Amino acid sequence: MSISAQQRGIARCTECGKLSHLPELGHDATAACPRCNTALNFRKPQSLQRSWAYTIAATALMIPANILPILTVISFGQGDPDTIMSGVVKLWVADLQAIAVIVFIASIAVPVLKLVILVILMLVVQCQLPLSRQQCTILYRFIHFIGRWSMLDLFMISILVTLVHLGNIATVESGPAATAFAAVVVLTLFAANSFDPRLIWDLDND
Amino acid sequence: MAEPSHIPHEFTACPDCDLLLQTAQSDHTLEGRCPRCKAVLWHAAKHTDTVSFAAAISGLILFYPAMTLPILKLKMVGQHGSNSLLGGIYRMWLEQEQILAVLIMLCSLLAPLLHLLLTAVVCFSVRFNHYPRHFPLWIKYKCLMQNWNMLEVYAMGVIVAYVKMMHDGEVTVSAGTYCLSALLLCVILCSQYFHEEQAWQHWEKNKPA
Ligand SMILES: [Zn+2]
Ligand SMILES: [Zn+2]
Repeated sequence: MSISAQQRGIARCTECGKLSHLPELGHDATAACPRCNTALNFRKPQSLQRSWAYTIAATALMIPANILPILTVISFGQGDPDTIMSGVVKLWVADLQAIAVIVFIASIAVPVLKLVILVILMLVVQCQLPLSRQQCTILYRFIHFIGRWSMLDLFMISILVTLVHLGNIATVESGPAATAFAAVVVLTLFAANSFDPRLIWDLDND
Repeated sequence: MAEPSHIPHEFTACPDCDLLLQTAQSDHTLEGRCPRCKAVLWHAAKHTDTVSFAAAISGLILFYPAMTLPILKLKMVGQHGSNSLLGGIYRMWLEQEQILAVLIMLCSLLAPLLHLLLTAVVCFSVRFNHYPRHFPLWIKYKCLMQNWNMLEVYAMGVIVAYVKMMHDGEVTVSAGTYCLSALLLCVILCSQYFHEEQAWQHWEKNKPA
């Protein structure tokens, strides 16, 4: 039989990993880690509420991020605004399939997958869905690992805007979707960080 | 108190599933994994923090050229363009994309710099047994900066931009790319060979009462 630290009244510090006995606290009382002075809790406080808030905000911002133009290539005075998806299509048509796949994964697949997985994980905890705890934990680690790769498109914009700055011949300008997309990336990072995977395993302990 | 080690003393709890585990008889040469959810609890101790200290110092030396030297150069219809990491941030700021500029600066300049700097300070403190007053904060900020350090994603961005521009003009790799690659290697070594638990135990053993 596996025993969780919480069942023994032991809390693990989120910063330094030290275990401490955490007594029943009064309403306004807080406890701090003896090693690093971080506030001690058995689980991340308001984990689900925070994750839901970030996830919903990120989902809403996905709409402007995908509809508005993200990048405009102006060559010889002719502007040609691209959304994230049309940029991928253009790369594919220009026989740059490998790059098209990388950009598609980083800018479209990763944010969507992250949001879908977060919703699944939160529903598993809230509705006690009978999914494999092991697989849910793998999904959680997966969104943690891939989350940062969505920044790829933003870095690429900053590189292209500077590199292709050739006066009348060609310039690249960023569009309004870039800021919306940046917000999506940051919000999904926050959402994944607020979610506490131990809540999934707690379902078995009751 | 026992000697500081990269493995927690006696007991630990899995960060991903909260399983309570005994670490007393653990083999120090092996990676520790949670038996229930397979989370990595600690890495095998191959080297001391000497490697991460050396990598942090090398990274700091490489930092300025990697940020300021041109990464890619473009030749198109007789015109030349080039970019550097710092230049990219500055250009975004000028183009009224201040929020983006700040975010890119955080992930590709500020976080890598602070990550290397704080790793160097923490390794130095542990090595010479001299702990600054707010040592726990230094370790905490080091972890935070490590999470926001996205230099590897930036490197992929350079590759994608290179391939994307290849058929529009003549793109060449410049000195900044080599510095950036070396800096990335330093950052990876720096995070791979740093044992947080060991630094924490050193602090716990030697902290001023
Ligand atoms: Zn702590
Ligand atoms: Zn576990």
